[in-house]
Amino acid sequence: MEGNFERTLIDGLNTWARTNSPWAIHYNSGSCNGCDIEILATLTPRYDIERLGIKLQGSPRHADVLICTGPVSRQSRDRLVRIYEQMPDPKFVVAVGSCAISGGAFRGLYNIMGGIDEVIPVNVFIPGCPPRPEAIIYGVVQLLETLKK
Amino acid sequence: MSELSSLLALMIFPGGLALLAAGLLYEWADRKLVAQLQNRLGPRWFQPLADTFKLLAKEEIVPQGVHKGLFWGLPVVAVAAALTAALYVPLAGLNPAAAFRGDLIVALYMLSLLTLCLGLAGANTYNRFSVIGATRTLTQLFSYEAPFMLSLLGPALVAGTWQISSINQYAAGNTWMILTQPVGFVVALVGLMGKLELPPFDAPEAETEIVSGALTEYSGRGLALFHLGKDIELVIGLTLVSAFYLGGLTNPLAFLLKTLALLLILAVLQSLFARLRIDQTVGLWWRVGALLALVQLLLVIVLKGTGVL
Repeated sequence: MEGNFERTLIDGLNTWARTNSPWAIHYNSGSCNGCDIEILATLTPRYDIERLGIKLQGSPRHADVLICTGPVSRQSRDRLVRIYEQMPDPKFVVAVGSCAISGGAFRGLYNIMGGIDEVIPVNVFIPGCPPRPEAIIYGVVQLLETLKK
Repeated sequence: MSELSSLLALMIFPGGLALLAAGLLYEWADRKLVAQLQNRLGPRWFQPLADTFKLLAKEEIVPQGVHKGLFWGLPVVAVAAALTAALYVPLAGLNPAAAFRGDLIVALYMLSLLTLCLGLAGANTYNRFSVIGATRTLTQLFSYEAPFMLSLLGPALVAGTWQISSINQYAAGNTWMILTQPVGFVVALVGLMGKLELPPFDAPEAETEIVSGALTEYSGRGLALFHLGKDIELVIGLTLVSAFYLGGLTNPLAFLLKTLALLLILAVLQSLFARLRIDQTVGLWWRVGALLALVQLLLVIVLKGTGVL
């Protein structure tokens, strides 16, 4: 009984820390750069996502959330998988934009694998071409909400 | 009884939990001030705490080719060194937990040990970004260490003692040394910014060029410990400089006001300046900083020798 209580306490603390401090890394696996510009706009003082604890990190080793844009081209497939594998557990993936969901305008091309989920598991999809910064923030908040359950 | 009080000094105040809490709160204050200066809301007050808990609960990946013992042990040594340095400084304006003649030197070298651990941690991995970061960290260590030390020796010479608590008492009883030794104050402040690798001296962890410097390969526990060490170093550095130059720290209120005022200056400088290249950093400290501090020191020695001071 007592062990159970400690377990729930530690789990609660973990969830609290995880949902309040998602550090992100951003990777473009073959997008047209439109979504990347929107992601950069999300990081500007106007939207100030540091108030939610979100910080852009340079190293995959420091990150919790991988924000991917674009369809996965055959060339960047290995790099995407490698970056995903370099991230320490627990890790989450957010696919931003129509191309990241299905391949979008590039679907069916000889050099395109398809959406991000063809290659690595994805937790949240954010539709749009490109999605607005508000939509990206909403998507990340949805991810954090699912972590609380 | 004395064992109990030593244990308390090590674990609760000023050595352990209180210092960690102060470090996290000061990191928040720094980030909040910078955010406000950039016209943002900034992080919530518990942000550094949440970051630390999250990192501690994450997987720690040991990359291939590292010395496992060093990879595991360096963060621990770094935090231990920073916590030890805290025993000799007048935290919260109270008397230091330990004091002996010459503890200023020990405290300064304990703080340098943290930077040294950071450099070794970077050089320990095969990652090219880590190695470049480590080289820059150590280069920067060799450039700011001398001016920072010289600028803290000025007040020590005037007070006639190398014991931090005595210098603190002397500073509290005399004119603020920011007025009598303004050059020393500026050099100490800039040296502190270099020690903490704050912008514009953040070339060692420049995330736009070398990912995140020496800490690139660290995840989870190691990263959390290094961050904690940096936070503690921030508190100790602010305490030292305000004790020496801002008229001493004699009570908790004075401690809070003076260190926060200093932090505000640091935040303004951080948001004002862009990152310097590593050669510019070294040039600034050796050509300008060290020379100015040396001239100031000579002046102090001459004035003290002739009996003016």
